[in-house]
Amino acid sequence: MDQARLEDLKVLIIGYGSPIRGDDAIGPLVADRLQAEGVPAGVEVVSRHILTAELVADLVEHDRVIFLDAAVDGTPGEVRCRSLGPDASAMSTMAHFLDPRELLAWCETLYDKVPETFLVSACGSAFDYSNYVLTPTAEAAIEPMLDWVRRLIDPSTPIPTGLLQSASSRETDTPVPLQTP
Amino acid sequence: MSRTVTIEPVTRIEGHARITLQLGDAGEVEDAKFHLTQFRGFEKFCEGRPYREMPALTARTCGICPVSHVLASNKACDHLLSVSIPPTGEKLRRIINLAQLTQSHALSFFHLSSPDLLLGWDSDPVSRNIFGVMRQDPALAKDGIRLRQIGQTIIETLGGKKIHPTWVVPGGVSEPLTQEKRDAMLKLMPEGLEIAKRTYAFFKTLVPKFKDEANHFGSQPTMFLSLVSPKGHLEHYDGFLRLKDAQGRILEDMVPPHEYERLIGEAVEDFSYMKFPYYKPHGYPNGIYRVGPLARLNNVDACGTPYADVALAEFHMLQESGPIASSFHYHYARLVEIIYALEMMDRLLKDPTILDARVRARARSNRYEGIGVAEAPRGILMHHYRIDDEGLVTWVNLIIATGHNNLAMNQSIRQVADAYVDGNNLQEGMLNRVEAVIRCFDPCLSCASHAFGEMPLAIELKDASGRVVDTLRRG
Repeated sequence: MDQARLEDLKVLIIGYGSPIRGDDAIGPLVADRLQAEGVPAGVEVVSRHILTAELVADLVEHDRVIFLDAAVDGTPGEVRCRSLGPDASAMSTMAHFLDPRELLAWCETLYDKVPETFLVSACGSAFDYSNYVLTPTAEAAIEPMLDWVRRLIDPSTPIPTGLLQSASSRETDTPVPLQTP
Repeated sequence: MSRTVTIEPVTRIEGHARITLQLGDAGEVEDAKFHLTQFRGFEKFCEGRPYREMPALTARTCGICPVSHVLASNKACDHLLSVSIPPTGEKLRRIINLAQLTQSHALSFFHLSSPDLLLGWDSDPVSRNIFGVMRQDPALAKDGIRLRQIGQTIIETLGGKKIHPTWVVPGGVSEPLTQEKRDAMLKLMPEGLEIAKRTYAFFKTLVPKFKDEANHFGSQPTMFLSLVSPKGHLEHYDGFLRLKDAQGRILEDMVPPHEYERLIGEAVEDFSYMKFPYYKPHGYPNGIYRVGPLARLNNVDACGTPYADVALAEFHMLQESGPIASSFHYHYARLVEIIYALEMMDRLLKDPTILDARVRARARSNRYEGIGVAEAPRGILMHHYRIDDEGLVTWVNLIIATGHNNLAMNQSIRQVADAYVDGNNLQEGMLNRVEAVIRCFDPCLSCASHAFGEMPLAIELKDASGRVVDTLRRG
């Protein structure tokens, strides 16, 4: 992607997770932090409890999408970034929560357009109900997540593809831990 | 030789469940059960919390119908405060409730049920999903996404958040509506109504193809319970309880929702975490009734909006007389209600008082017991709290729409299994119909209990000794 194209980039950042289930809230909290500190023109930030079907209409309106989520597989506090692609086989048996790769498959099938997509996640360790605070390890993961996002939305910094793990197929469902920026 | 068929999990519903079919020696269905297999315990862990936290806490039972829980919970809190909320506050609450009904019904029809309706019950299960629908009828799939987007946009415009808005508060709503927001929402109404009418017209062309399913998909006689307005019109926010029997006779009418315990008892069974509510005067399990779109349309004298009333008249023509019995027609009723919701939101947004600044009544708790009742997309939702002098919750009872339908869902799968399942020749399409009758009710098991994670789908046919004699797998 050339520099002129990068500067025109329309970016959507979606932080998702439950605000009452401890570390699951890290995605929306990082999104809120980004919103509070301000983002460049052309970057939109939203927080969601869960990913739902109508988000597809928003995804196809953007060139690049960054999902922010908590992870359960890995060392608590570990931050990872990976690229995502459409995967129709990532379908949920339930309808009130969709996998981001399934949403991308909706984009591909219905609109023949898939935004360049990344998932920035932090591994949590406590997901209890009625728990409104992050664990200290998750709290410490906020800044590394923000670093990843800042790099992904900075037009002057090309995406460090060498650091990313592709996760466009089921074989890469378990992301490889990556070096933080 | 007795055998058991297990369908687990039931797919394309909200939450996780299992169906078991007990087969007799000749392969005939002897028994059928719908099991809710997860436990959540909201009624228990809410104890000890300040009552003002209840709307936020109980809303987390669900990502599809949180607004319903927010409304029922806040109405219970209104009751605790002993206040009447300002008329504009009530109208704004009505709008957000109708917006949720729109997006929830759209999800049920377009996402969960259209694969069966469009591609057929016996079509290849590999492609009988939302992607199959997208390939077969992309315009329909896009309509579904847009209708959900319209509903969610209204929820976000009013509530600040799409999924768990905090704008509805005890005593009303926290902020009045601005003209800018009102105009933005009004602009969405014509497009939404056009999509709703287009989808309704399309579905009417499909209905004759499903005559057999309509005859066997939960067409057993039951009573119907819903809210109605004081005029007997369609009502989703307030009003009174009405109960009709299978012949259409009104057994209970204009019952204040706070008296629900006089009508409804709750039983439990050892095979499910979901309760079994029943109509007390008829006892358990004879007091079986249904709630939700089918019950609402069966119970009302009119919808009260132009297009929806035309559609209601057509709905009643699905059967020669009496309340529409088949649970298959929940789909039809849902589409009528989407039309109604969009017409009514348009009317409320154009109401000259909708921008009034008085939207909230303020008070401290003035009683120890509060009951809030509203119509969720899937049916009547009841929140009942008791608090102490400190305002801490000491007791909670939630009766969820899906729970009201529990007896009827169990009876319906038995009826479908009797009609379609041949234990000697197990076919995927047969079992899909058993699942599909559950989808007619659009159960929200996340509300009725809780699910976390996914399970593989495996349908096993076992003989009396537990030996697996046949297996079907998905995914």
